[in-house]
Amino acid sequence: MQNAKDTFYTTLQSRLAVLNPARTIVVRGVTRTATLVEENELPSAVVPLNAFCLQWTGLRVNREEPMPMATLECSIQYATDGTTGNGGMDRGRLLAGMDAELASALGAEPQTVEKMNYSPAGTGVAATAMGTNIFWADPVFNAATTVGERLQRTATVQVLAYQEAGEL
Amino acid sequence: MSTTTTEAGVVAAVAPVSRRVRAYFAPVNRSTGVPTLFDAAQQGRFDLHAPPAPWIDLGWISGFARNSATKVDALRSGAPAMTVGQARTEVEATVSLEFETWGRLQGTLASGSQQTNLLATESGATLNGSGGVAAAPIPLLFATTTTATTLNVGAAATAFSVGSLVAVDVDYTGQLGYVGAGVSAAYVQSASAINSDVNYVRRVTLNVGVVTAIANGILTLSRPLISGVPTATMQVSQLVGFCDREGASFFQEWSALFVMQGVQGDRVLIHYPRLQAMQASSEKKEELSFPLEKIRPAGVFRALPVKDANDSENVLCFRSYLPAALRDV
Repeated sequence: MQNAKDTFYTTLQSRLAVLNPARTIVVRGVTRTATLVEENELPSAVVPLNAFCLQWTGLRVNREEPMPMATLECSIQYATDGTTGNGGMDRGRLLAGMDAELASALGAEPQTVEKMNYSPAGTGVAATAMGTNIFWADPVFNAATTVGERLQRTATVQVLAYQEAGEL
Repeated sequence: MSTTTTEAGVVAAVAPVSRRVRAYFAPVNRSTGVPTLFDAAQQGRFDLHAPPAPWIDLGWISGFARNSATKVDALRSGAPAMTVGQARTEVEATVSLEFETWGRLQGTLASGSQQTNLLATESGATLNGSGGVAAAPIPLLFATTTTATTLNVGAAATAFSVGSLVAVDVDYTGQLGYVGAGVSAAYVQSASAINSDVNYVRRVTLNVGVVTAIANGILTLSRPLISGVPTATMQVSQLVGFCDREGASFFQEWSALFVMQGVQGDRVLIHYPRLQAMQASSEKKEELSFPLEKIRPAGVFRALPVKDANDSENVLCFRSYLPAALRDV
């Protein structure tokens, strides 16, 4: 299942980067695309702003098929305070922009991509293609909530993948 | 030259998972009864956004359902009678679907009969349900560029504007039988039945387009006309929309292809070489958020047979499955 999670993350990250290359975030001193997986980062109580933060929540496994099918629920949180230059009064516009970017990235064809194994990947070592594709359903955008001057939303998307022989 | 390849493993075959169904149209030559055949062996892997000619993309559809009414009866023998075999005593199949758009083709197919173009009328025309007497057509100029996407109408271009809808077809001059460029759009039983209307063929034709630009007397269309480059005898009429009628006599027939693209790269193709409309026009409503409703044109079609050249079997439908790469079969 980790391969499915990694593949979905890298796919979403690259699509979002194409849609808005200017959306970046500094993590541990490194500027990178503003899409991250919470469980892959240092634990922190700080909510990253103007970034997409993925959390892997639900999991179901259907073993009735020749290959078990895993359905993983991915919650994508994003928040904004607006810009200081505008006194935060543009936070609705910024959140709408993030809504549109996420909807476009997840809705773009194809909504399926070859599953990759990133375990052996590293410097000079490429990820290897596996035998099946991962795919995902349409996202569900939950109601935006306001915390102080902060506007935030969580979208959930079901990511599906087959467990190949020998895959953990 | 080495022919050595690396051995690759296969993964287990699983049931196709698809998001939705895409539909494609091709004309049936009604005069000869010859449909357009789709060969999944040669054409099955086409780009869903660019089907092979003459297939035309109808877009995504909803509510796609195939219904077989084929009857298989038991053959019995002896006392007491015991089933010793089976026989097909009746072969019947229908298809129902809803289109996501109200294009000219989708509207025609879901109309159940001939759909007419609401041609712009002449001044003072008597009111009529499917449109009054049409304005005089505008001739095409062939001295310069007239193609499937550009219509040279010369000085008459001032009568058009960007966004104008146009029908391009021949004048009615007494033809009997099927009429309509590219696709048989209606059947003329007698000239008197249609009042020898010179605009009748343009009134029913599916050879229509949207003007997206006008320059130097040339109308540019959003997409190629369904019949290709206009012929020298064709003229142009403006239209404002489309109309179909409950009770009209014509049965629309088309060659149909439905594709379900699997997420693993597999593909299910369902090909009905001959589908005829079997219900009058209807719509399906989907509530978006009260009181808003999406209205989709809905159609039900009966399949007609063709003979498979491989074994001379009369069949109604071809279902093909193309597995994804390196899947067990």
